[in-house]
Amino acid sequence: MARIITITSGKGGVGKTTTTANLGTALAMQGAKVAVIDADIGLRNLDVVMGLENRIVYDLVDVVEGRARLRQALIKDKRLPELCLLPAAQTRDKDAVSSNQMIDLTNQLRSEFDYVLIDSPAGIEGGFRNAIAGADEVLIVTTPEVSAVRDADRIVGLVEAAEKGPPSLIVNRIKPRLVNRGEMLSVEDVIELLAINLVGIVPDDESIVTSTNRGEAVVYDQTSLAGKAFLNVARRIAGEDVPFMALSDQQGVLERLLGLFGRRRA
Amino acid sequence: MGDLISIKGGRDGLRLRLDDTAEWAHLMSALEQQLAQNSGFFAGARLILEIGDRAINDEQMTTLLGSIQQHGVQIEALGATARESRNAARASGVTARPLPRYSEPAQPAVQNEHEGMLVSRTIRSGQVLRHHGHITLIGDVNPGAEIIAGGSVVVWGRLMGLVHAGALGNPNVVVCALELRPTQLRICEQITRSPDKAKNLGPEIARIEENQIVVEPWEGAKRG
Repeated sequence: MARIITITSGKGGVGKTTTTANLGTALAMQGAKVAVIDADIGLRNLDVVMGLENRIVYDLVDVVEGRARLRQALIKDKRLPELCLLPAAQTRDKDAVSSNQMIDLTNQLRSEFDYVLIDSPAGIEGGFRNAIAGADEVLIVTTPEVSAVRDADRIVGLVEAAEKGPPSLIVNRIKPRLVNRGEMLSVEDVIELLAINLVGIVPDDESIVTSTNRGEAVVYDQTSLAGKAFLNVARRIAGEDVPFMALSDQQGVLERLLGLFGRRRA
Repeated sequence: MGDLISIKGGRDGLRLRLDDTAEWAHLMSALEQQLAQNSGFFAGARLILEIGDRAINDEQMTTLLGSIQQHGVQIEALGATARESRNAARASGVTARPLPRYSEPAQPAVQNEHEGMLVSRTIRSGQVLRHHGHITLIGDVNPGAEIIAGGSVVVWGRLMGLVHAGALGNPNVVVCALELRPTQLRICEQITRSPDKAKNLGPEIARIEENQIVVEPWEGAKRG
């Protein structure tokens, strides 16, 4: 029986889709059967980030409206046979699906997978409500910015009102150097306000940009700090007790890389 | 508030109770006056409307709901003993339910204001805690959240959102918190905001003195 986890944030652009793609990949790398669903109908992205755009024949709305069977619409990942994507429709909008249809859909997937991850659209309207309708758990992604944290707080309230239980939190794009200088909110600041369970701290990392543009998950990149952080989040979700990476003592990622090169040259 | 209109707290939310014997026109103008005077309290509120034994027709119901909605109040349900009134409400799309006869006479709001409410949770951005009496909260009020009370507000936690005490017109109320740094602090009709460079001084208390909101440390307030 699958655990159905919705990844949401309130604010746009904080890394929901990247998180969904990487957690899905990381969980599948651990051997779990994983389905990732793009619930951002009309603004689909998850297929692009996973490099599966050119394989789409049927989408979520086709399944809901009966033009395709669920099995036909699920796209197998390029590398991991245990990972599947159910893409969103691009030519429709959020009203194409109802909450009950989303619940039916997740229930159909429940028996065949270990994890179903749902990538929620930004906002608090119908699209968000559909995305959490079928969820057992909610994972909130935020960045250490006042506006993103404010929106995350609003989402926590709505998730609690929807009786989904307390959500857990990933703080994305932390820049340890800025935090050390007191110029960025620290993870502690964010936790103090939101008061929910932390499952991940992901450092700001340029390798995210390159891997996302190539359509490959960053968790494959052994050198990427963000990739390691997402692998850790996946292990925590699976129930392992993994200590958080010590980011605050390290230099910026760029400095680390420069340091490595420097040493090699010497 | 006048004797014709009162607010009561119930298990399912706030109830706006209208006198059922006064002349209709008189009642309507009293209602209009109350809603306009206390817009800080009523704007955005969701209330249950109780009209007692009064029988009102479709047209009167439309007028009544219209004038209430104009002040940003949503009526969640109507309680009335008369079937005619309930039918009129349903015709306007409002849930209606029978109501036991008013057992006690309407109390003036000044008395109601002493009814307290104790809440123990975090009030998050976008959430509103509204009560006609005093509010005691054990937990934080996050930025973007609102606390609106007819009486005083006591927060055992950090008050970072918007707070409005005395929102039904009583200036003799206080706001206190373990950490008092609200986005905006309103008492009765006075409005102020936290200084831009806020120092954390521990528990503080705010009240009106000579038509101004004054904030002082709890220790100082005790000595004074």
